[in-house]
Amino acid sequence: MSSIEEKITANFDGIEVRKIEEGRIEVKTKKEALLSTLNFLKDEGYGHLGLVSCVDRIEEGIFELVYILSRYLVGGEVAVDQASLIVKTEVPRGNPTLVTSVKVFETAEPYERELHEMFGIVFSGHPRLTPLFLERDIDLPPMRKDFDTRKYVEEEFESIPPVED
Amino acid sequence: MDRRQLIKWLKEPLKMSNKYSLHVVYFCTGCGIIEIPPSITARWDAERFGVKPVATPRQANLFLITGYVSLKTLKPIIRTYEQMPAPKYTVAFGSCPIDGGMYWDSYNTINHLDKYIPIDGYIAGCMPRPEAVFAGITHLWTLIDEGKADGYKKYRRNYSQYRSNQERLYGELGWPPRFETEGLENE
Repeated sequence: MSSIEEKITANFDGIEVRKIEEGRIEVKTKKEALLSTLNFLKDEGYGHLGLVSCVDRIEEGIFELVYILSRYLVGGEVAVDQASLIVKTEVPRGNPTLVTSVKVFETAEPYERELHEMFGIVFSGHPRLTPLFLERDIDLPPMRKDFDTRKYVEEEFESIPPVED
Repeated sequence: MDRRQLIKWLKEPLKMSNKYSLHVVYFCTGCGIIEIPPSITARWDAERFGVKPVATPRQANLFLITGYVSLKTLKPIIRTYEQMPAPKYTVAFGSCPIDGGMYWDSYNTINHLDKYIPIDGYIAGCMPRPEAVFAGITHLWTLIDEGKADGYKKYRRNYSQYRSNQERLYGELGWPPRFETEGLENE
């Protein structure tokens, strides 16, 4: 029985699989192949999407999206590949669009809404990309590295006058 | 009961009973709520001071805001404050409602709570221990005695300023003005 790393490299072209340490495998994929990779891994038993996160790599001009997958052992299965898979993909900062993974993993829905709100990434095909945490619209999404929080606080909160009796 | 206070009880029974039966509504924002269970349970029994948590703001006369206030929680805070019957007192808890505390440059934490609702007293600390809560409450007694804890009157007097500050933050508020805001048109 071949390991999950061999299975991934056998099935996909141009995919980087690297073992970071025992129990953590990094899979770097192109953004076009993301959905098929996730589909393939789900069929291999990695049915639990733990987290969708984003890293703003401003020097390289990309957003790096991180999907963390893990698996449960069912029905007396022996633990051979009890690793977490860290699936990474890149989208350009100028045009951050990506196809949604809600159809594969339903749990991705609130994570993608959060990323849309905090980083401004547009997930096409998402059922509702409405605001999740923030009370009002902010022009630049606040978790981007070029968002100046101090300037924002001075403009929005410090400019409000104290109440004089 | 302190016998020296007997005259006060006969002169101003309403004020004295207000002072010694503070019914508290805790607004559990942030980390300050961790200090509340020890202060209201057996070890630092808060009912020694007449402080008692209640279920709804409509029965309360002391409003404790425990911790930082984010933009989203300020709205329920304003609504809770406006639902409480007068006389009502507010105490902000910890350093975050004073000036933002460690969240002073966060995009989502309003820094000065007293721009939006009146605050009668602050308990400084990050977080204040139950002893500090009781020191704050006994100090609130003296403020009530001297008539200085009049934030609810200030709210009524300057309601147009408070309302315009709230509207600057949110745009359109989802509820009608609590009092007359005739001052707004002149500005």
